[in-house]
Amino acid sequence: MAELIWLVPLLPLLGVVINTLLGLNDLRLSRANAHHDHGHDHGHGHGDAHHGHGDNPTAKRSGLIASVMVGLGFVLTVATLIELLGMPAKTTLGENNRWFDVTYWNWMAFGDLEVPFGFLIDQLSVTMMLLVTGVGTLIHLYAVGYMSHDERPTRFFVYLNLFIVAMLMLVMGNNFVMLFLGWEGVGLCSFLLIGFWFEQRDPPWASVKAFVTNRVGDFGLLMAMFAIWALARKPDGTFLHSLVFREVLEQGTVFSLQQYSTFFMGTQYTAAGAIAFMLLLGVTGKSAQIPLFVWLPDAMAGPTPVSALIHAATMVTAGVYLMIRTHPIFELSPAVQSSVTFIGVATALVAASIALGQYDIKKVLAFSTVSQLGFMVAAVGMGAYVAAMFHLLTHGIFKALLFLGSGSVIHGFGNEQDMRKMGGLRKKMPVTFWTYIVGTMGLIGFPLVSGFWSKDEIIGHAFDHDHRTVGMLLILGAVLTSFYMGRQISMVFFGEQRDQHIHAHESSRWMTIPLAILAVLTLASGLINIVVLHPLTTWLEPIVEEEAAKFHLNIAAIVTILGLASFAAGFYLYNWAAKHKRIKPNQRDLLHHWGGDFYAILEEKWGFDALYNAVLVKPYKALASFFGKFFDVKIIDGIVNGTAELVGLSGRGLRTFQSGYVRSYALMFVIGVVIVLGFFALR
Amino acid sequence: MISTNAYVLLSAILFTIGVVGVLVRRNVIVMFMSVELMLNSANLALIAFSRARAESDGQIITFFVIAVAAAEVAVGLALLVSIFRAKKTTNIDDVNTLKG
Repeated sequence: MAELIWLVPLLPLLGVVINTLLGLNDLRLSRANAHHDHGHDHGHGHGDAHHGHGDNPTAKRSGLIASVMVGLGFVLTVATLIELLGMPAKTTLGENNRWFDVTYWNWMAFGDLEVPFGFLIDQLSVTMMLLVTGVGTLIHLYAVGYMSHDERPTRFFVYLNLFIVAMLMLVMGNNFVMLFLGWEGVGLCSFLLIGFWFEQRDPPWASVKAFVTNRVGDFGLLMAMFAIWALARKPDGTFLHSLVFREVLEQGTVFSLQQYSTFFMGTQYTAAGAIAFMLLLGVTGKSAQIPLFVWLPDAMAGPTPVSALIHAATMVTAGVYLMIRTHPIFELSPAVQSSVTFIGVATALVAASIALGQYDIKKVLAFSTVSQLGFMVAAVGMGAYVAAMFHLLTHGIFKALLFLGSGSVIHGFGNEQDMRKMGGLRKKMPVTFWTYIVGTMGLIGFPLVSGFWSKDEIIGHAFDHDHRTVGMLLILGAVLTSFYMGRQISMVFFGEQRDQHIHAHESSRWMTIPLAILAVLTLASGLINIVVLHPLTTWLEPIVEEEAAKFHLNIAAIVTILGLASFAAGFYLYNWAAKHKRIKPNQRDLLHHWGGDFYAILEEKWGFDALYNAVLVKPYKALASFFGKFFDVKIIDGIVNGTAELVGLSGRGLRTFQSGYVRSYALMFVIGVVIVLGFFALR
Repeated sequence: MISTNAYVLLSAILFTIGVVGVLVRRNVIVMFMSVELMLNSANLALIAFSRARAESDGQIITFFVIAVAAAEVAVGLALLVSIFRAKKTTNIDDVNTLKG
């Protein structure tokens, strides 16, 4: 498989090319048709699928091409996995043996730096590739159904395939520059897909917000790369020649970053710590952690398959992947590691609490995603890389399921997202309901279902390694998670439908079958790192050098009982509220009645958006309008117009000499001659 | 034999008369005559120097000047005729429409 690994990203890229050409062809045909219709018969062109609200046949065609490409990538990835499993785990020297590093060509070279275009295939990247291509295929298939009424499905699938290409570059690249290529690529696709419905009011703004916020994080990643390039030395004392992971992350090279340090206010800061901190900034941007998480909830303005694929399952986990990949750097700086944990825990709690105050079905899931990413980041900060990876995989599956389920609800409920208008949908959407229940079981850690194992592994690791406070706070986060899911299940699926104007119906098979498959995967994904056997730990051990986590029955029991109790509390509270007509569209939540201002804070997302608006956006807009309305108009235009005016003025002055009287010209000529001759005569 | 200085002095006087004529007279034909006077004063100077140096260059140039002046007169008089036809005047100050 090692020879064919380049096909995995190339196939989706082929999908991009094919769908682009097909889309251009469609455009040409529809223009020709429109022209034709116009010539012969006015008003006849409305039967065209591009304008009507019926099924758009191009959705099925483009969607199948895109899905097949990603699906083939998944098959190739599985084959690669089997091949790696067939290799001995370790060399005779006890080093990792299950990897291959292929360089295809030299991408760039300037000065001493060489950037190869190559892939590093090891346990970590194959695990990520399985998630990206596997869940990606299911979401592509689902999107065929979801986008069937859309006007531009071909364009949608082009972007979606392009995203898969970029994400594969990110996880497969064998050096920092390749990783950055993918990192920016997924950011671009995220921008394009959030703003996919650009005719509407919110999506364009949300896409700009996501792009700009991510750019802040990307700055950190860039700075970290520059610093590594400038400072790191190989064990023999020479500088690096490339940013290839296997060179940079070698033990001796990473240790060389320790030798640069400075004392400031009595504390020692090393280059390794600074680099880790800048990497962390990149992670907070891409993985939506405090302080840069604000873009992710707004990103829900995009189509729901996008939310599932990019903003839940894959792209947002890129930060976690980056930290696990570069964990030797983080391990040199315990201070940064504890800030990672702190950020993770704070994000988990803040986002989970905000989810209580949301009425939009997708916003709840968005904050849930931010919160679960907080769990993963906290796990990485504590050094529980396997647990983080485990949760990343199970979360990728069950959160994709939940998002697709919410998409099915939205699709079948007349594109309405307000949970206060829903209710009682379990009878009208049975498949969506049952799969949603399975996804919820995964998220709240129902016994023996995926989240139960992965979340418990993180919490158990916290207690095992003397991070008791972290463990407690994460349990609190889990309790909040259960509560808002109980609230959501009750508001969406139980009680009576509150807005009777909307005719709810179950979605097509294109959408329900991927839901069913993901539900089965959710039920089974606890097996990825099941207790006693620990397959994931054994698999990743050569990379992260971590021992298998112990399973604590008492902690698991406490977390589960608290979680289920909290779920039941949320569920029955809102059932009761629905029965007593306390939930109405456009009316504030029941908890606002009891919690008052505190609940208002949750509704306002702890004021992060307001703060950034006041501190950053408004001054920036003021600066922009200063430049736009004053500096450009007065200063720049002033310089240009002033030059023109000066020329005009001097012209008007000189015109008086051009009088039209021949004799005055002759006089000037004579004077000139006298001056010139006089100059030469008297010199 | 009359000295070269006398010729050059005469030439300078004639040239100055020509310049002043061009500058002060408004009648186009008189201005034209003044220009001719300047040309011929230059011819006189050339001939005088040619004789003083016993070389024929100055005389050859003089012939050239006479030939060019003849052509100039032809063009100039044609212009004068057409100006007179257009403006019914020989006053140069009335012909002043080409200005900024």
